[in-house]
Amino acid sequence: MNLHIDIKEKAQESLVSLKGEIDVYTVPKLKEELIPVTEEPNKHVIVDLSGVNYIDSTGLGVFIGALKATDQSGSTLKITGVNDRVRRLFTITGLDEVIDIEVNEREEA
Amino acid sequence: MQVQTHVDIHSEWGIVAARQAGRKLAREIGFGSVDQARVTTAISELARNIYLYANKGQIYIEEATSSGKRGIRIIATDEGPGIKDIRKVMEDGYTTSGGLGAGLPGVKRLMDEFKIDSELNEGTTISAIKWLR
Amino acid sequence: MEKTKLSMYQLYKDMLNTYLDSKSEHALYAAQQFSKEMMEKDMSPEEMVSLHMSVFQEMVPELPEEVVDSFDLLLEVMIGYGLAYREHQSLRDRQRQLESELNVAARMQQALLPEDEIHAPDVDLGVLSVPAGKMSGDYYHYIQDDHGCIGLAVADVIGKGVPAAMCMSMIKYAMDSIPEQRLQPAALLESLNRVVERNIDSNMFITMVYGSYDPRSHRFYYAGAGHEPGFYYSKKTDSFEELTTKGLVLGLSQKVSYKEYVKNVEPGDFFVLLSDGVTECRTEDGFIEREQITDMIRKHIDLPAQEIVNRVYRELEKMQDFELKDDFTLLILRRKV
Repeated sequence: MNLHIDIKEKAQESLVSLKGEIDVYTVPKLKEELIPVTEEPNKHVIVDLSGVNYIDSTGLGVFIGALKATDQSGSTLKITGVNDRVRRLFTITGLDEVIDIEVNEREEA
Repeated sequence: MQVQTHVDIHSEWGIVAARQAGRKLAREIGFGSVDQARVTTAISELARNIYLYANKGQIYIEEATSSGKRGIRIIATDEGPGIKDIRKVMEDGYTTSGGLGAGLPGVKRLMDEFKIDSELNEGTTISAIKWLR
Repeated sequence: MEKTKLSMYQLYKDMLNTYLDSKSEHALYAAQQFSKEMMEKDMSPEEMVSLHMSVFQEMVPELPEEVVDSFDLLLEVMIGYGLAYREHQSLRDRQRQLESELNVAARMQQALLPEDEIHAPDVDLGVLSVPAGKMSGDYYHYIQDDHGCIGLAVADVIGKGVPAAMCMSMIKYAMDSIPEQRLQPAALLESLNRVVERNIDSNMFITMVYGSYDPRSHRFYYAGAGHEPGFYYSKKTDSFEELTTKGLVLGLSQKVSYKEYVKNVEPGDFFVLLSDGVTECRTEDGFIEREQITDMIRKHIDLPAQEIVNRVYRELEKMQDFELKDDFTLLILRRKV
């Protein structure tokens, strides 16, 4: 199980593309790379999850940490490209009400 | 009369010189081949630590005596960055997991007595003794 | 020590002699047994090499110098192996110690769960909680008040193992500190959320579902904080319904309000509360579907609640090849008459 993390920094925007699975094993690495990005002031942090088919609860924890960090630094957090399974997780936990989530348009079966 | 050998460690050559001096004295004191190799390995590790973390320092090798016992004492001293958490570096698995060799717990195991003293930004002094059985 | 060394020397010498004479498998087998004894006596690899060399030199005094010298090199290499072996032994000891500490902690954790059984003629309660490791990040709770009203909860701390378990005990103590809200699920979650938010690390959260059943009015009130939905089974229609709740996970922000839901409960109806270790169960063919859980429950529907949860657990355990990936908690409350 692996997670590839790709970060593209622009002036106003940081695009974080993730590919793989976000679980107990990959979370430490994700935390290490994502949290510093969200701590930068006044940025739009966009996390693209279209390459992610599975997130467990510790993975959600990272996004909560990221959300709190962007709130502190005056940045914003947006999550895009979530599939059905991942979206369900955000809905159940109520996180879809506090995090800006854009649903994947090309829905895969 | 105490003989003390002193080797400057600032390159891998120093490590080899310290090993050589240690093996020679260990043999003279009467250690068998296994213990000679152990003492040498301990010197190696201490010298390598100096070389890797403090760049330079000294290894002193001397005969040790105490209530009729004879042995060999190694003192490694440097003025390097010091060790922040001694307990941690003395933990098994801490340095070895990174492939850095036997580490300080290894040295402690190879020798009979082991003392470490370290001040941040001032340096580290380690003294270890192996007794002749 | 010297005595063992001497006897080892003699033993090894005899063995080597026998082998050089006969080249037999028998002698090699003896050597294998000998190695176990060496390890029991804490002989290091370098001592073994040196033993071999001295025995051999005694047997063949005129060894070529190169052979003798080559052993210096082998000895030097073996010192490293010897250190690794010793380190392994010490790490193994430390692991044993950690494990026994964990066992104690796990017993303490077990003590946080309710012990008394519910004594009510008209309800049937079954619950099973199994940690994936030694300690659990799941928590369940049930309690009965003087009027026979029953409060029940399943909570799931994110992650598992020791960190999750430490968090779980916080939930228990927090619940104990707000007894007056036991029968008001939404209010209870709101209070709990405030406690959790103050005491939890920013990457952690807890999900929870809380329900209370009033046997006088046959009503079940419930509220959820981001928790995996349970099920409601209606006997009349013989169907399962998702027990969906809206509400944010505990510990994220200070002021959260939770919506309370209510259901009228007919005889034979029951509620299923669970942790995501039940539904997120991963088998060789991927994740299991929620319908598979309800199918399993349906299969044993005529059994007592405790039997149902036990059997569902056993089936899921088997499907995962007896390797639990996440803590498992399943609770069923049924109105009997």
